[in-house]
Formats: sequence, C-alpha cells, structure tokens
Amino acid sequence: MKSIKKILPLFVFALVVSCSSDSQTRDAKIIYWSSNNTEEIEFARYIVEKWNQKNPEEKIMFQPVPEGQSSEEVILAAVVGKTTPDIYSNMWEGDVESYARAGVLVALDTLDGFMDFLHERCDSAVIADVTSPDGHIYQIPWKINPIMLLYNSNAIKEIGFAEPPKTYSDFFNASKKFQRDNDGDGYVDRWFGYAEVLVTWWQRFFDFYPLYLAASNGAPLVKNNKAVFNNEAGVKVFEFLRVMYKRNYFPKERLSARQDVFLDGVIATRFTGPWEISHTEKFKPARFKYDFHPMPVPDNHSGNVYTYGDPKNIVIFKTCLDPPLAWKFLKYALSEENDLKFLEITNQLPHRKNLDTNPKYAGYFAKNSKMKVFAEQAKYVKGTDQSPVLKEVFDLISQEYEACVIYGKKTPREALNDAEKAVNLLFLK
Amino acid sequence: MRKKLIPYLLVSPYIIYFLVFVAFPVGFSVYLTFNNWNIISPMEFAGLSNYKRLFNDALFRKAVVNTLIFLVIHIPFQIVIALFLAELLNQKIKFRGFFRAAFFLPVIVSGVVVTILWQQLYGFDTGLLNRVLVKIGFAKIGWLTDPNWAMPSIAVMATWKNVGLYVILFLVGLQTVPPQYYEAAELEGATHLQKFFRITLPIINPTIFMVIVLSTIGGFSLFIEPYVMTGGGPLNSTVSAVLYIYKQGFFYHHMGYAATLGFFFALLILSVVMIQKKFVEKDK
Repeated sequence: MKSIKKILPLFVFALVVSCSSDSQTRDAKIIYWSSNNTEEIEFARYIVEKWNQKNPEEKIMFQPVPEGQSSEEVILAAVVGKTTPDIYSNMWEGDVESYARAGVLVALDTLDGFMDFLHERCDSAVIADVTSPDGHIYQIPWKINPIMLLYNSNAIKEIGFAEPPKTYSDFFNASKKFQRDNDGDGYVDRWFGYAEVLVTWWQRFFDFYPLYLAASNGAPLVKNNKAVFNNEAGVKVFEFLRVMYKRNYFPKERLSARQDVFLDGVIATRFTGPWEISHTEKFKPARFKYDFHPMPVPDNHSGNVYTYGDPKNIVIFKTCLDPPLAWKFLKYALSEENDLKFLEITNQLPHRKNLDTNPKYAGYFAKNSKMKVFAEQAKYVKGTDQSPVLKEVFDLISQEYEACVIYGKKTPREALNDAEKAVNLLFLK
Repeated sequence: MRKKLIPYLLVSPYIIYFLVFVAFPVGFSVYLTFNNWNIISPMEFAGLSNYKRLFNDALFRKAVVNTLIFLVIHIPFQIVIALFLAELLNQKIKFRGFFRAAFFLPVIVSGVVVTILWQQLYGFDTGLLNRVLVKIGFAKIGWLTDPNWAMPSIAVMATWKNVGLYVILFLVGLQTVPPQYYEAAELEGATHLQKFFRITLPIINPTIFMVIVLSTIGGFSLFIEPYVMTGGGPLNSTVSAVLYIYKQGFFYHHMGYAATLGFFFALLILSVVMIQKKFVEKDK
C-alpha cells in the first residue's frame, strides 16, 4: 500500500505531462516534418517560430522526420500507417510519382495561387520536370545540390594543366599524367578520380546519370513508358567510364571506408555536390586548394553542360485537414527572404530561378564563392524522370553499367541494348 | 470447469504469441504470393503470376546458386575448423579460458563491424592480405573485386565470424565422451587419430548434425556480408537469395513477389535440412 502511495503521484505527473504535450500537438493546425540534419532542423525551427509568432491562431508544429534507416523508409511507413504529417520537405523527386499514383498526395495545382507562385519561382523546364503524367503537380521544387567535378587545384597544376579537364580527351590526358605507382610494387596507387563500384541503383546518381545529362544536354532516361537512354550520349558515357576503369585511371576497389582519399591526395577529382565544401574546409591539410567545375563532356559536345541536381521537394499529404493553410505556410516558408535564410543556415541551394543573378543573394555568394559555382550550375540541372518504376530503371542500368564499364564484359552498345530491352519489359508488366 | 480452463490459460501466452508473430505472418505471406502489392496502393490479385515469374527469374536462380556455393565452402570449412579448435581447447592447456573466450568474441561483435574490418583486410591496394602476398612474391588478388574470388572471400569471413559458436557446441559434445573409452583404446595401442575417428566422431555425431543444420540455416540467410561489402557484385557473384528477396521487397516494394521468393526459399531450406537429416541418420 505504501509503495502504491509513492508511485501514484509519479503516475499522475507522467499523465499530466503526456496530456499537456498532446494538447500542444492538438493546438497546432498543421504538422510539418523537416529533414533531420542539424542545419535543416535549425532552419525549420526558425521559420516555424517566426510563423507562429505572427499567426498565433494558425500554429504550425514542426518536428524532424523520425529516425529510421532512411527518411524514405520512415515516410513509407507513415504512409502505410496513415500517420503522415501534413507537410513533408525533403521528398526525393523520384519517389513522388509512386505516392501520387497511390493517391496519398494533394494535387498542389488545385490550390489557389499555386501556379502563379510556381511560375514566379521556377522556369518552364523545371515546371515540366515536376509535372506528373496525369497533368497535376504534386511537389514544390525546394532545394537542389548539383553534382559537379570536385578537383584538387594543386594536383591539376602539378600535372601541367592550367584548368580542370573539360572533355573526355582532357580527362584521359590528365588521368595518364596523374596516375602513379608510389611504392614501386607494380600496382597503381594514385588515380585521377574515383566513383563507387557498387551496383546499388542510387550510386549511378554520382557517375553515369550526371555524365549522361551532361553529354545529352539534359535528355531523359525514360519517356512515355519507354527507355530512351540507348543513344549516342549513353554510349559515349559508358565508353568514357569504361576506358577510365580499363586503364586504371579509376580504381575498382572501394575506397570509401578509408580516410578521405581526396584530401589525402590519393585521387585528384571526384563527382560530388556542395555538401563537400564544409567537409573539405574542416579537414583539408594546410595549403590544400580545391574547386568545382561542370561535369566532363564528350569532345564534340556543344551547348550548356547539364547535371543531376539531386532535387528534394515539398509535398502535402492527403491526411492534411487544411491544405489551404498548409499552402499558405509554404508560400511564406519559400519566400525570397526565407530562401536566403535557408542558404545561410544550410549552405544548400533553394530551387529557384536566377539564383546567381538575384541581388537578394549576391551578398551570400560574395562571401561563399564556391557556392556561387553551384548557383551558376543551377540553371542547368535536371531531376529524375516522373516514373513509378524509376528505382528499377536505375537498377537495370546499373547492372549493365557494372558489366560494361567496370568489368568490360560487354561493349557499351551491347550493354545499353540489354538495359533498354529490360527497361521496356518493365513497362510492359 | 475452472480446472479445465487453467491449462488453457497457462498456455495462452504462447498461443497468442504464436498466432500473432508466427501463424499470422506466415499465413499473410502465403496470401501475398497470389497478389501484387507495393505497400502504398491496394493489393491486386495476381493469381500464379508471381510463381511464373519466379521460375523464369534468371537472377534469382543465380542468387540461389551463389548461396549454395557459399554453403559448399562455408559449412565443411566451418565444421573442420570448429572441431579442430574444440579438440585443442578440450586439452589441458594454459590460458584455456582466455582462448575459449577469444574464439567466441567475433560471434558477439556486430556483423556490420566485422564486415567493415574485413573489407580493409581484403582491400586490393592497401589490404593487409595483398601486402603480404606482394611481399612474398605473389600477385595481388581481387578478393572482393574479382567475381571468382568474391564469394569464397565472403565465406572465409563468415566462417571466422561464426566459428566460435560451433567451437562451443563441439566442446560440449566432446565433454560427453566418457574418458574410459580413450583409456581402453590407449591400452589397446590406438593412435590419436584412431581414437578421434573411432571414438570421438561417432559419439559426437548428434552435435555434428546440429552444427550442420545450424550452419546450413545460418548460411542460407547470408545477407549482411554481401549487403555491406559488395552490394551483390561483382557481376552479381555475391547476390545471395536473401539479399535478392530483400531488394525485391524493400528497394522495389514488390511485396507479393518477395513473399513468393521467400516462401519458395523456405521450402528449399526445409528440403535441404531434411536431406541432411537422412544422410546423418543413415551414418548412425
């Protein structure tokens, strides 16, 4: 009895605390899940606090996406369990179409003023990219991290190049000069570049896909439920990478578990995004110089150099009881002012047009010259094609990529023919 | 009446557990095999199409063959090494307790950690194994990058990781052998090898069977090692059946097809274990 008397107050206290936090949740009209990295949490907290101060009757509650193996899995589990938030930022563009087809996303173009807002924020190519085959738009372009060529400026100078290699021939020449057997054991241990050899589908976002977009001036991989990647650009990219591996300019070994091979001078280049800047700044050795350049292109290439933008977008789930309010909040969250704050806090690019020339952001780019390179590239980025079987498409390309590019078991033409057949079969199912 | 109910009440926790965590998932999986389901959209009845797809799926066949290759290398290797170590650790040697614990240590270390460590050993350019090979005048081997070497390399690593468990099982088995059998054999002039083959092996036969069954089931569930080390490559040479099922289910959300693969694979494991049982029982 005595112990019950001791426990009872604790129990009542716990009940009160849990009920009070629950009532806070109920106060909020909209629940917003942000990404769970520190900078994006800071940004989400900033905009939500400001909104709630100005709109005490229309409160937003934000929380980072719950921890899981990946945010994609958490969102999937939430969709299945019907526990989705009202708003989710950080949705990978490639996932949107399957959710749209499952009927769990709000068609944003049906919301008042959405199309005007979108035309003001994005150019027509981006709007076309995010439009689903059913003609609706289920996502707001939010942020991009374009994939570019990161290079060691000292290493490039050391091999007698005034600037980083732009074409495949330049790349071969530079690779030949940089390649070295340091310890004289007959094996190369300094390579010009590195790309993950794993066959996992999304690894191709960092080698084949941006190179394909660069070579093809931003052409799609699939269109109208058909594979369209089996073209000259595709063949040239496979051939380029195949030569890189065949001549041992890229290692076939996985170097990702080692100390940073770029900062160690083991490789001179890497295909990567702006997230590399903060890491490199933090860990670079003394007098280490680096910069970014557009992806290499075939020798006869003309036109702008496109790349993969790794876009992450914002969606409103159908579980939202008040989509107009969610939309009102998002219009505020994606204002020019808040995009500047987003840049400053996260060092990621908002997906809006004329980013590099907009005077609003000039101050930021003057202070962060390396980000300026990405802002200039932002005019020529592509996301992913709108297809519910996109992962399988990338997986099938990746299988053929491995056979042709890494192990030389097929010619580029054979590999792309086989990939095309397999992808078209996928659409027939 | 009350007396009659009590036994049911006592077994009810297990019955509830069994229904919720075993019977329902198994039943649901079987039901799934006749449907297409991507988790987020409603299920669509698919008839036998998932089964048809399974029998025409060349990559799944390759995954099963890869798993069998792994088992063929891993099981005998594991049994021989475990038995050898158990025999040594059954002798009165110094620091016996320490060695017994040391051999068991990899079993309790996370599979992902072990895999990352071995990735360093197997590295082509900087890996310890290749450094030793070059030092003694041999060519480097692409332990994880050569399709012919990748699966054997994974099998060796898995053996190293799990052997401690089987050493313990064999130690238990060895301690059930009555010492007077050895004394009698020694009086007759039996050699160490004769004692091992004529006395030890027949007596620990049930332990050997248990080890074979456990390592077969463990081997069939090969997943972490290829998932972390090779992603199934090079050229699909390390795609295991479980890795393939996982990819179908959780990468591509082909839940119906993944359930079909899982169901078929469970039947395959059951058949292999039954065959093993027959062989070992025959040997008795």
